Amino acid sequence: MSQQVISYADLSIINNALRSISSDMSGVHSELGDLNNKQDLLEDELEKLADAFATFVEEDKKHKALQLAETRVGNLRQELQIKFGYYAEVRRMATGILQGVDTGVVSDDTLRFTTEEVMIKAPGYWLAPALVSLASWVRNDKSNTEKALNESLKRDDYKTTLFFMLVMRRLARNDASMKWLERYFMHQNPHNLDREFIVILEAVTTGVFPPASRQLMMSNVKNWLDQLTQGDNFINEQKSQWVKFFEAKGPLPDGKYPLLEKFASNWNALEVSMKESKTHRVLQTHFQNIFASSSDFSKAVKVQLDEILSMLVTNFDDEELPLQQQVRMNQLIIQMDGDKNAAQAMMDAEKHIFDEKVDFLQMLTNAAFNPELSGATKVTQALAVSISQPWIVEAHDTFTANSRNKIPATVDLDIDGFKSPTKDGSDENEQIQKHDNHWSNILQNELSKLSFPIGIVIIGALICLGGLYGFTINAIVGILGLGIGGVLIWNSINNHNKAKKTIANNIEERKTKSREVLRGCIAETVDYRKESATEDANAEGLRQLITSITAEDFSSISVGSKTILQTN
Amino acid sequence: MPRIILQDENLNFENNKNESLSTNGFISDRDILKKRSKRYLDIISKLDATTLTDTKGMQELMNAIKEEFGTAELSSLPIGIVAKCFLGHPHEVHTLDLVGHQIIRHYKIGEPLPDDFEKGRTLAKHNAYAFVEVYRDKIILIREDGTSTKL
Repeated sequence: MSQQVISYADLSIINNALRSISSDMSGVHSELGDLNNKQDLLEDELEKLADAFATFVEEDKKHKALQLAETRVGNLRQELQIKFGYYAEVRRMATGILQGVDTGVVSDDTLRFTTEEVMIKAPGYWLAPALVSLASWVRNDKSNTEKALNESLKRDDYKTTLFFMLVMRRLARNDASMKWLERYFMHQNPHNLDREFIVILEAVTTGVFPPASRQLMMSNVKNWLDQLTQGDNFINEQKSQWVKFFEAKGPLPDGKYPLLEKFASNWNALEVSMKESKTHRVLQTHFQNIFASSSDFSKAVKVQLDEILSMLVTNFDDEELPLQQQVRMNQLIIQMDGDKNAAQAMMDAEKHIFDEKVDFLQMLTNAAFNPELSGATKVTQALAVSISQPWIVEAHDTFTANSRNKIPATVDLDIDGFKSPTKDGSDENEQIQKHDNHWSNILQNELSKLSFPIGIVIIGALICLGGLYGFTINAIVGILGLGIGGVLIWNSINNHNKAKKTIANNIEERKTKSREVLRGCIAETVDYRKESATEDANAEGLRQLITSITAEDFSSISVGSKTILQTN
Repeated sequence: MPRIILQDENLNFENNKNESLSTNGFISDRDILKKRSKRYLDIISKLDATTLTDTKGMQELMNAIKEEFGTAELSSLPIGIVAKCFLGHPHEVHTLDLVGHQIIRHYKIGEPLPDDFEKGRTLAKHNAYAFVEVYRDKIILIREDGTSTKL
């Protein structure tokens, strides 16, 4: 009974109520949607704001770091001036005294007075007693000379030795300067060379010393190299540095192959490979420049000597180095627009050059990479390259082999779905053939997907049959049936053919375009392989160039240039 | 010490031994990268032209290789050599297997090489290198003049 009551009950009110609730709900939903949208917008805005704020903070940080660095550079320079300013004075004086000794126009008394005053002014600086010793030597005061010399040697053995070596050479006391030179070499440890060593190498290389010094240097250098190249470590380290150097020298891409860039799926590999093979030419010019400039000894010998001497007396002293490094760091921060991390990275990269003590091989590498920063000239760069030649060749071989190994075997074309690798583009006909087959396959596929309207045709046929049957009843019905059936069949077949034609046209158009692109790609592939091979061949030329450099050859060139210098 | 006696026996082969020392004198005695002797290069590069069916030729080849690497331990010897094949199309490279049974084999374009050899294929095809020595962990490229590069 109860079921019946419910079935008769009037539920329309409840239904209406439910309907209105649901309409209310949909209103709520739409409002919720609005809210969501607003929320999204708000979030976007907030993100933008946060980004902007982060950028601002970053910029502000950089700006402040920049300002700080600028202030610091000034302060540090001032500190250098205060702490080591008198060093600079001594240096200036040293040059003056040397010139005075050279020309002999300064009286012994003045020399004595000035040098002794310097001695008092710059306690702890090796150059001061060296100057006193020099002045005493000029006026034949043997005991004073020796005393001052001892003091000077005590303060800085290397530099004193170097100084006297250069001065003796300047005053043409060949035997004495050779003795100093020998002493200097004896003090050296090839694993742990002083920064000044580059200066002496420079001096001997540029030919400001008697010819015998060159033999002395070369025999020492050979011994060191034998020592250092006993194990693989030192050489491998230099080798990997050179390989990195080669890798960094690659030129920028020139966008010569626009089609391959777009349609070769392994374009990245192709581009890297091309860049690496182009590196050889850059390197060739690089090495040629080093040696071209090294043969330029047009400067007069006095200028050369003064340069080396002044480098000796003006280069930073060990005590100054920490401050100088800080100055450099701040300079880098300024250079990097306040980006401390970038500056630190650059500083780290340069650190090898700032290392106070280096092994001989590292010194050569420093001089070869960046002569200015390591306190050498182009001449020493050339010498360093020629001594490092064996492992430069090895590094270059490794670099070349690596890049050759990475030359992609094929250019993987991917043109509008047509994927085909080509080796060097010589197979144009086959590719075109393959391409055409690919498209005719696609055409077939597409057409097979287009089903023949068999149903409608059958219906049409049935209606026709009906029409034929209709003739037995009434001619008009029969004609009508036949007509309708015929139109139906004709229409559907016509439509089908139209669709087929559209597809065929469409595919034909894509095919034509794709074929043009394929031809272009093949042409570019041929060019690419050609260029790649030409550039790669430069590696052999470069190898010959580097192989032809030998330390012996180089020193003989320098000996020749030395005679030119001497006649000046 | 028996090695010395052996070397004495082979003395007549070692005319080129001095050449195998690095000429510039700066490079350390890193055996693996020393300049290869002309005799070794000749024998390896003749592989295409001569067949190695007769035992004498094989023996000579193995001798040359052993001599070239001198005292090196067996484990540090190359496991084989890959070189560009001059038999002509479709042959691309041939391998000389020093540990396997089939001493020399010519491979056609696209034909895969055994595992360790595949890594030397690209460079073996390059004209700058005479052949490639294949090791388990590295390959060493040998130029026509006998200089070598490790990779």
